[in-house]
Amino acid sequence: MQPNIELDGIGKNYGDFVAVENLSLAIPRGSIFGLLGPNGAGKSTTIRMLMDIIAPDRGEVRLFGRRRQRADQDRIGYLPEERGLYQKMRVHDLLLFLGELHGLRRAETRPKIDQWLERFGLVDRAKSKIEELSKGMQQKIQLIGTILHQPDILVLDEPFSGLDPINQGLFKDVLEEYRSRGRTVLFSTHIMEQAEKLCDHICLISKGRAILVGELAQIKRELSGNSYRLVSDGECDRIATVDGVQSVRDEGGAFRIFLADSAEGPEVLARLIQVVTVHEFASEEPDLETIFIRAVQDAH
Amino acid sequence: MRTSRVLVIARREYMERIRSKAFWISTVALPVLLLAMGVVPALVAARSGSAKTVVVVDETGVLGSSISDALAGGSNEFERRNSFSVLLEPPAADRDAQRAALDERVLREELDAWLWIARDDLAAGEVEYHSESVSSFITQSVLERRLTDVVRRDRLARFDLGDAEIDELLGSIDLRTVRVSAEGSKEEGADAGFFLAYVLFFLLYLMLMIYGQQVMTGVLEEKTSRIVEVIVSTARPRQLMMGKLLGVCGIALSQLLIWLLTIGILTAPNIVSALSWFPDGVDIPQLRPTLIVHFISLFVLGFFVYATFYAAIGAAFNNVQEAQQFASFAVFLLVAPMLFFFLVINDPDSTLAVVTSLIPPFTPTIMLLRLAVKTPPAWQITLGYVLAVGFALFMVSLAGRIYRVGILMHGKKPTVQELWRWIRYP
Repeated sequence: MQPNIELDGIGKNYGDFVAVENLSLAIPRGSIFGLLGPNGAGKSTTIRMLMDIIAPDRGEVRLFGRRRQRADQDRIGYLPEERGLYQKMRVHDLLLFLGELHGLRRAETRPKIDQWLERFGLVDRAKSKIEELSKGMQQKIQLIGTILHQPDILVLDEPFSGLDPINQGLFKDVLEEYRSRGRTVLFSTHIMEQAEKLCDHICLISKGRAILVGELAQIKRELSGNSYRLVSDGECDRIATVDGVQSVRDEGGAFRIFLADSAEGPEVLARLIQVVTVHEFASEEPDLETIFIRAVQDAH
Repeated sequence: MRTSRVLVIARREYMERIRSKAFWISTVALPVLLLAMGVVPALVAARSGSAKTVVVVDETGVLGSSISDALAGGSNEFERRNSFSVLLEPPAADRDAQRAALDERVLREELDAWLWIARDDLAAGEVEYHSESVSSFITQSVLERRLTDVVRRDRLARFDLGDAEIDELLGSIDLRTVRVSAEGSKEEGADAGFFLAYVLFFLLYLMLMIYGQQVMTGVLEEKTSRIVEVIVSTARPRQLMMGKLLGVCGIALSQLLIWLLTIGILTAPNIVSALSWFPDGVDIPQLRPTLIVHFISLFVLGFFVYATFYAAIGAAFNNVQEAQQFASFAVFLLVAPMLFFFLVINDPDSTLAVVTSLIPPFTPTIMLLRLAVKTPPAWQITLGYVLAVGFALFMVSLAGRIYRVGILMHGKKPTVQELWRWIRYP
């Protein structure tokens, strides 16, 4: 399927500092894409290039299968990392302004605003000034402002930071709804748990470079294929000698063994039993956090 | 058809401001401030001056009583307000002791001043004046005028002239001022013409300053609250800047309209006559329609010259304190024409007036002043406008270049070199 968002070898320097280097991504329609990485990895810079707020020094951004155009702005919703709203404006007026800025007519915007305020439990706040709202409420208003014009692409920079679990759930629902309608969501986070629950595709970036890109399920499958958890009385050295075991790591109380590509789990287990006492032997899917840490370590 | 982003932004700016209390407060406060700056000092000066106690020591022995009469009374309101209660003292044998005693009484504040009328001094055209303050120029000029009058009468009386003849000889001449313009000649008080020029000049200056500052704080608010990040993801920074400028300009013009309507109502003839508190002899000047049109166009031009500058520094810096240092540059350019105020008003066709009115940053205020006093040659008005429009466009472009970079920059305060680099970015 034609990807909605394509980044083709984009890069950005700030003076001598390389913020993003040779980053390429393709994000299909109907998916939630997680841009993951530690603080300062280049996530926000990447997003700002995607949003045409800053121009990439190298490479190209393509949306909807063609080079990014100015008119695409109305089809994207953007929630920046640094949140900000006009503090003195009233909620309804502000949302009307944001809708209109994205090309909506005032008349068609009003009922939409009411629907969203209703859904987010903020109906009674429509006439309040932004400065009278709590941080969490302001963040919800900002999300409404981002999705009011029903963009085909939703770009969210750290959308969950500062939200309580209930509101995180609300945000998650919105994103999943977007995916189910065949739209595209890209969000960045440094919290792997959220990405794990939501994303279909991920890109791990570290120090401005993509170190792992692809479908999350596939990445997990590939990385879990030959990783097992072993609880045993045996010693590291003895286990390592077993045919088919590539490496062993003592994780204190359990071993993590990685099999050679050709080896199969059951066969290795049969051989292990002859050498050591086995209490537990299980295939293990690494969580995103493990993948992330390992990938970052491997890359540098 | 989508509404242009510039218009969406301008409308938000306009609607938020017109609904704010600040707008309505300033709509009332600005004219009051202007009146306070312009009229009150004049009124206060005119009404100030309680009767001052003055001792007059007359060596001549003849002038004393007529001086005493002249100082005590007055022929009009202003003169009566500046009256003196005079104590005549004959010169004592020991003059030095007498003078010391009088000084002593001044210090004890029994006396405001004392005058010593010596025959030799009088021949040289002088009278000695002793007071704690020698800078009370209104009091002194009144004294001088009245003493001169008495002494002249005394000199003329020596030629055997009667009072009627003396009155005739000393009668002064007032100018009956008639303003000549293409719209027809019209009698107009000199005070009124000055008053009008003064008010319009300061109003323009205040509005350019106040609305420039508002643009600056508005831009800073968008920058520091980070709302700008959302807006520039859909609109170009330049569109945001233009929207803001148009919105604020619209607010300023609305305010002007409110004032004009108010003036229109207040200057309706029957209301003017009701304003009895207005000092005698001050005509309410007539606002000519062409002058109003010039005022509005010159304001818009001035706004795009100065507010663009304010927008650029608002975008470039991180907070009001940082920006204010640079803003003083605009204030300096705005204040500079005040140095020429009296020169231009006195001779609106002087080389200085013509040249300064053609220098774009000064054109709005100086050209307005010239227009208010005397209609300048058409070519000068046209040239002034053309140059100012060109300069305003140049400022819009220049400010836009600084704005687009600055609005997304946070952290370090930029140096002048950095601002220059931003301008030169493609």
